[in-house]
Parts: sequence; C-alpha cells; structure tokens
Amino acid sequence: MVDVRPVGYLVGWLVTALGLSMALPMVADLTAGSANARVFATTAILVIVSGAVLAFACSSGVSARMGVQESFLLATGTWAVFPIFGALPFWFGEPQASFTDAFFEAMSGLTTTGATVFTSLDTLPPGTLLWRGMLQWFGGLGIVIVAMVFLPTLKVGGMQIFRSEAFDTLGKILPRAGEIALSLSLIYALLTFLCFMAYVFTGMPAFDSAVHAMTTLATGGMANHDLSFSGYGASAHYVATAFMLLAALPFIRFLQFFAGDPKPIWRDPQIRGFLLVVAAFVTLLSAWLALVRPGPFEPAFREVLFNVVSIITGTGYSSADYDTWGSFAMTMFFVLGLIGGCSGSTACSVKIFRYQLMLASVSAEVKRLHAPNRVFAPRYDGHPVSQRVLDSVMAFFMFFFLTLAVVAVMLVLVGLDPLTAISGSATAIANIGPGLGPVIGPAGNFSTLPDAAKWILAATMLIGRLEILSVFVLFGAAFWRA
Amino acid sequence: MLAFRPVGYIVGWLVLALGFVMFLPLAVDVALGDGNAPGFAEAAVLTIAFGAGLTLACAQAGDLRLGLRQAFALTTVTWMVYPAVGALPFMLGLPGLGPTDAYFEAMSAMTTTGATVITGLDDLPHGILLWRGLLQWIGGMGIVLMALLLLPVLNVGGMQLLRASDFNTLGKIMPRTKQIALSIGSVYLGLTVACAMGYEASGMNGFNAAVHAMTTLSTGGMGTSDSSFAGFSPAAQYVSTVFMLLGSLSFARYVQLARGDAGALWHDTQIRAFLAVYVAFVLGMLVARLAGSARLDETVVREVAFNVASMLSSTGYASADFILWGNPSVMIFFIIMLIGGCSGSTAGGVKVFRYELLFSAVRAELRRLYRPNIVILARYQGRTVSPQVMDSVIAFFMLYFLSLGIIAVVLVLLGLDPMSAITGAASCLGNVGPGLSPEIGPVASYVDVPGAAKWVMSAAMMIGRLEIMVVFVLFSTAYWRG
Repeated sequence: MVDVRPVGYLVGWLVTALGLSMALPMVADLTAGSANARVFATTAILVIVSGAVLAFACSSGVSARMGVQESFLLATGTWAVFPIFGALPFWFGEPQASFTDAFFEAMSGLTTTGATVFTSLDTLPPGTLLWRGMLQWFGGLGIVIVAMVFLPTLKVGGMQIFRSEAFDTLGKILPRAGEIALSLSLIYALLTFLCFMAYVFTGMPAFDSAVHAMTTLATGGMANHDLSFSGYGASAHYVATAFMLLAALPFIRFLQFFAGDPKPIWRDPQIRGFLLVVAAFVTLLSAWLALVRPGPFEPAFREVLFNVVSIITGTGYSSADYDTWGSFAMTMFFVLGLIGGCSGSTACSVKIFRYQLMLASVSAEVKRLHAPNRVFAPRYDGHPVSQRVLDSVMAFFMFFFLTLAVVAVMLVLVGLDPLTAISGSATAIANIGPGLGPVIGPAGNFSTLPDAAKWILAATMLIGRLEILSVFVLFGAAFWRA
Repeated sequence: MLAFRPVGYIVGWLVLALGFVMFLPLAVDVALGDGNAPGFAEAAVLTIAFGAGLTLACAQAGDLRLGLRQAFALTTVTWMVYPAVGALPFMLGLPGLGPTDAYFEAMSAMTTTGATVITGLDDLPHGILLWRGLLQWIGGMGIVLMALLLLPVLNVGGMQLLRASDFNTLGKIMPRTKQIALSIGSVYLGLTVACAMGYEASGMNGFNAAVHAMTTLSTGGMGTSDSSFAGFSPAAQYVSTVFMLLGSLSFARYVQLARGDAGALWHDTQIRAFLAVYVAFVLGMLVARLAGSARLDETVVREVAFNVASMLSSTGYASADFILWGNPSVMIFFIIMLIGGCSGSTAGGVKVFRYELLFSAVRAELRRLYRPNIVILARYQGRTVSPQVMDSVIAFFMLYFLSLGIIAVVLVLLGLDPMSAITGAASCLGNVGPGLSPEIGPVASYVDVPGAAKWVMSAAMMIGRLEIMVVFVLFSTAYWRG
C-alpha cells in the first residue's frame, strides 16, 4: 500500500513556505501604495494555516519511508496542489479573475509554461506581476531539483543515464542529495542575480528586470507587458537570449564549473547537440526570413535568434509576431517546440538527450538490417546504452506524442479550431507558452478559450512538466496496491 | 561492392511479365472499339523490349544468387522501375499525361495508394481504367508476397516476429516458398472474384465490378468515376465495406482457413484488434456526427461505416465528401490514416501489430517504474517479445513519423497549404489516397499539386509501401561497402 502521510507532510511544509513567500508581493504592493497588498496578507495567512494543518495532520508519517511510489506521488501532488494556493491572489485580488483563469495562470506559472489568460498586464499592480514571476521562479527551481535528484533515481524516461553521473561525479564533491539541492538553488539564485544585473545594465527598469530575470532563468516566459519583449531594445534581447540559453543547459555542469572543473561543460554531448540545433535553426530561419522579407541583417537576425531560443528553451517570450513569417516558419517553430533544451535544466519538452539516444538506436537498427549477424550497441557519450534505458526513452516518446494527439483531439471537441488545438496542445505539454495562429499565437493569448479548454491545458502542462511518465504511473491500479 | 546482376535479372523478368499484361487492356480497347489500342500496343512493345534487354544483359555467366543485400535492392528497384514502365500507357494513350503526372499515377496505383491526377474518369476509354485497376491488383499481390515472404526474413520493422507465427505455421503445411506464393495468389484471386460477383449482384455493370473488385482487394481505391462510390447503390457500398476490411486482414490466415484451420483466423490478436479499432472508430465517428447536425438513419450509418473502412484499410474510396463533417471528424480521419491494417495484407499505414507491440512495451515500462526490481517483459500473443524485435518496431515508428514530418515540411516549402501538406504526406506515406483538405480531399484530385510536390509524394508512397526501413537501409554507406 502507498503511504500518503509522508507525502502530505512534505507538501504541507512546502505550502507553508509558499505562503510565507507571499510577503514579498505584499511589500511590493505596499511600496507602490496599491490596495492589493491587503489581499496578499490575508491569502498568506490562509495558505500558511492550510499548509501547517496538512503537515500536522500527516505528522504521524514523518518517519515513514519515502519509497518509489511515495516519491511519484510527491512530485505530482506538489504540482497539483501548489497551483491551487498560487491561484488565490489572482482570484481574491487583482485582476479579479475567475477561479478557472486564476488556476490556469498559476499552473502556467509553476510549470514554467508562461501561457497567460490576463490581458492589459501593464495596468496590473506590481504585486500581482511579481507573484507571477515568483511562481515561475519557484517552478523552475523545483523542476531542476526534481530532474537532478528524483527522476534519475525513479528511472523516468531514460533519465537513469544521468544517475551515476549526477551522484557519483558530484558525490566526490558533495555527498548528499540535500546538499545537491542546496547548491543547485545557490547556482540558480546566482544566475538569476546576474541576469537581473544585465537587464538593469541594458536600461530596463529595476522592477521589470527582477521579474524578467526570474522568468528568464525559469524559462517561463511571463512578461510584465502585453507586448512581451517587443517593447525593449536590442541589448535586452541579446541579454535575454544569452540567459535563456544558459537556463536550458544542465545545471549540474554549472556546479562542476564553479567547483573549478570547466571540462564537463565543454565536453557534454547534450550541450553540444543543443547548441548545434539552435545554430542550425537560426541559420535556416534567417535565410528564410531574408528570402520572404528582405531587409537589413541585424534586426532580422536578432528577431530570429531571440524567438528561436525562446521557443526551443520553452520560455515563450516573443519579440516579433512570427506567425506572419509564412507557413514554413510556423512549421519550424512548431518543430522547435517539440525539441526542447537539455535535461536537468529548467527547459522543457522532449529534451535533446532523448533525441540523441533515439537517433543512436535507430542508426544501430538500420545497420543491423543488412548485417544481421553483427552486434551494434547504441552509444551515448562514448558508453554503450542499456536496453532498459532505451525502453524508457521509447516509452517517453510514445507517451509524449500520444498525449499531444489526444489532448489536441479533446481541444477540437470542446470547440477550438485545429491549428489552435494542435499548437495549444504542443505548447502546453512542452511548457512553452504561446501557440500558433491568431488566437493563441505570439500576438494573442489564452483568455478567449472556453473554460473546458483551459482545464484540459492546465492538466496537460502538469503532465508535460513532470516528464509524463511520472504522472501516468499513478493511473495504474497496481500502483496503489503494490 | 554490391553485385547488381541478380537484381537486374529478376527485375527484367518482372518487367517482361508486365509487358504481357498490357495485352489485356489492349484487347478490351480493341473489343469495345475505344480507340486507345495503339497506345497500349506501343507501350507493350517498349516494355517487353526493355524487360528482355535487361534480363539478357544481366544473364551472363556468373553468380545469380540473391543475398540479403540484393534482396533489399530488389524490392526498392522493383517498386521504382515498375511505375516507370506502368506509366507508359498513360503517356502514350488517351490521357496524354506528362511524365510527372504519368509516373505519379502509376506509382499511386502500384503502391495501392489510389491518389489520382486524372480527372474526367467517367469519359476515359475502358482500357485505361482497366490498366489502373490491374496495376493496383498487381501491386497488392506483390506487397502481400513481399510482406509474407521477404520482410520477415529481412527483420524489417518487427516483421521478424511474424516469421515464427506465419511463416513457420505455414511452413508445416507447405514447405516451399513457391507453393506459399501460389496459394496466396489463389486466395487473392478467389477473394477478388467473390468481390466482383458481389458488386455485380448489387447492380454494378460487369466492367465496373471487375475494376472495383481489383482495387478493393488491393485496398487501392482507384475507381472508374470522378465521384468514387457516391454514384453506386447502398448495396454496393456494403459489399465494398466488407471486402475492404477483408483486404486488410493477414492473408496467411486465409490460406490456413482454406486448409481447414479456422482457429488461426479467429485467434489472431492482430485481426481482433483491427476489427475492434474499426468498430471503435465507427462508433466514435457516429457520435461526432450526431453531436453535429446529422440524424441517426441508415444513410449516416452507411456513410460512416463505408468511409471509416475505406480510410482505415487505406483504400481511399469515398461515398461522401467527409471533410465537410466538421473538425472533430477530420481529426478522427487523420488518426485513422496513421493506423492502417494488419501486416501481411494489402493495407498500408503503420499496421496494427506495431501498435499492439508498442502498447505492450509501454505498459511494461509503466509497471517497471514502480517495481524497479522485477523483470517485466513485453508480451505479444502470449509470448514475450525479444528486445531485438522491440528495437525494430521502435526504429520503424521513429522513421515513419520522422519521414512524415520531413515530407510535410518539404511540401509546405513547395507551396502547399499546411493542411494539404500534412494530410497529403500522411496519406501518401500510409498509401491511403485522399488528403483531408479541400484541395486534395476525398472529392478532389492531386491534379493541381505542383510538379515537384508530385515527385515528393511519389517517393513518399514508395517509401511507405516498402515499410520505410527497406528503403532507408540503402542510404547507409556501410550497406554499399558491405
């Protein structure tokens, strides 16, 4: 039987912490003289009390063992419960959203998706904007820790190939998982601070810089303006591009880098593959844009670079309406979204290493066809990959694209047009943000969708963020019996 | 280096045989005084001369043994050369098509796709209509033999799994390849005759019944009228529905049935799954239509049963313009196109047994997640599936959907609208026939597609028909070096 007490205990304390963090937007609103501060104060109390009650109710399970099943439950439980509490300030206070909208926004924030249902962002009180940024920042940090500490141990979707590496290599430096989590948080905070300084340096107002730094490092993509990044200058675009790219690299490499060993970051096949893919798409789309919209090189190149990086990392900022670049560009942006960044980062989607493993496996299979008596083992990073890992990766692909298709069909059934449905499904499961087409494209937003579609999309974001398999595992009856 | 001579020798004989088949439409045209007889005579002479020349050129003393690598080359070369030869009557005869259109038409026929670039079918001479039917019938026969005799031995896309069940079981009854080919040929012929008689009884004239029987059993879908099946009686549509489904079941089972073993047909999980999928989609489509404006009556049920059978079996007949049934229906038809029939039939698509294997593997993977210390193996038909077979199946899926994506992008680049590009790519790769956009939909034709796109689509049909990996293996350098 699954013991839910330790899970409830941990989720309870995490909720309490979330409640405490509401002090920050409250202060922001107080400073700006907005009446919305009162909302954050009352909500904070409510959240802290709820969290504490949950923790105490489950406190008999403090010493219970956190097994495999409990770990799965903890991951999904946290990401299912947090948005409920995170949504309260949007519901009670500005912008007085419906609960559906508030929940969608909070889920989109915590999963670092960045799809928004709020319009006229520029008129919202600073506390609300800061809260959106903070939700994304927490979500990003949470996912890095889950991806580095939990998923490899749980063997989700081929992540086990990072297990020995993450723990052994680091193990020599930092012996325990708690310490890894702590040092990852420090790196994350440091990078966010650097990003903030860089934004300030480009002339962005300090408040915008802070919120954008948080949503950049989380590859979340919630901005303070309806225009997203279109209103900022060239230097801000380049800074955002650089930090989005950094946020999509495996954070473990930064740890090693700061511990004085820069070699792993240089040699990581995943990082090389990722940068190569980015370079290829930027070249291709720059050439395409030069063809369909001749003009000076720099602004066009910057638009392509910024938006390609924003989509492949799953951030979702936009600096131009690339929906107007023609159907080839749209197709490419759709493909970009299905690639994603590196594992162990805040980036989303399928991730580079899975494509690398899949390609290695397929090319081994094609070789086997005409030389059936030779053994071809697919290799990754110089090591042969076990069958078990390949099975996991395959199951991941399968679930990813099946979920994508099923969600798209469901969205069509609740009344969306096919382009909005398919791109919406993709953007939700890959935690990107904008979809394609006039409704939810880079120039639109999700506010006009029917409520049923918003709930479906919110669930899809959760499934996508937790690498799909770790959610679906909960649906087997045997999971609860075992 | 690869020894090409045995390949040329066999292809030569096959071409020669096709030349003699051309006398059949020739005779029909002469008998009916349709005036296109000279075209067929010229084409037959050219074909026979080319075939004889190729055979003689390759028949010189030397080793004519057909090795593994030659077998791969043979399949691909046959399916490239046959359409070229089969296109001659279209170029020399009445339709007077250019080489691009003629090759597209012949490739579409040979691969049993059924996409057409000829309009005004109702007014064409009978010889040409019969020729299209014959090409599809021969193509269907060829693919069944290839799927049952060649692919399992070549370990392509998990087909080795069927070696044990089909080939060996059959082997006990009929020990030799020629006999297997012969008995499958007679089953195919018998079913075609039965189908023709069914059509005749439902009110079609003799000629239409014969041509439609040939394109029904081959799940090809080329008709004798621009309106496809809309002009035929309800009885004919029911007959067609039954025989399209029969054409998508494994032909080895019919041979066993003819030998008095009905259990093999009955217990085959692939056949059961296929029929279950069919019933599920018919019900789903009915719900989608009733949720729209349709009322439940015989016409709606017949339309749904017929068109779902047509798309699932990859035939491509249409009895209604089903893209007008609304977005949910179009979405469902798109998914149907990606499924296909059973292996060892004339149907195209991914094939049901691969989905069965994939689901089995994914289910095993989910159970492994929370039972990490237990060995859990995927099973099919009650037996465990070896990782080797799984790898093949996964590689097949990867290459299939990768090809689909790349072809769709290329078609967009060549100027097709996204909907035509995506559904056209899926339709050609799955050998279905119609796409799901107004331009290439069930009541339209491919005549307005740009020339370059027609070549891409022809290639897609061939790649899809030959189970993808057979073609891709020729692209690896190791294959040519040996």
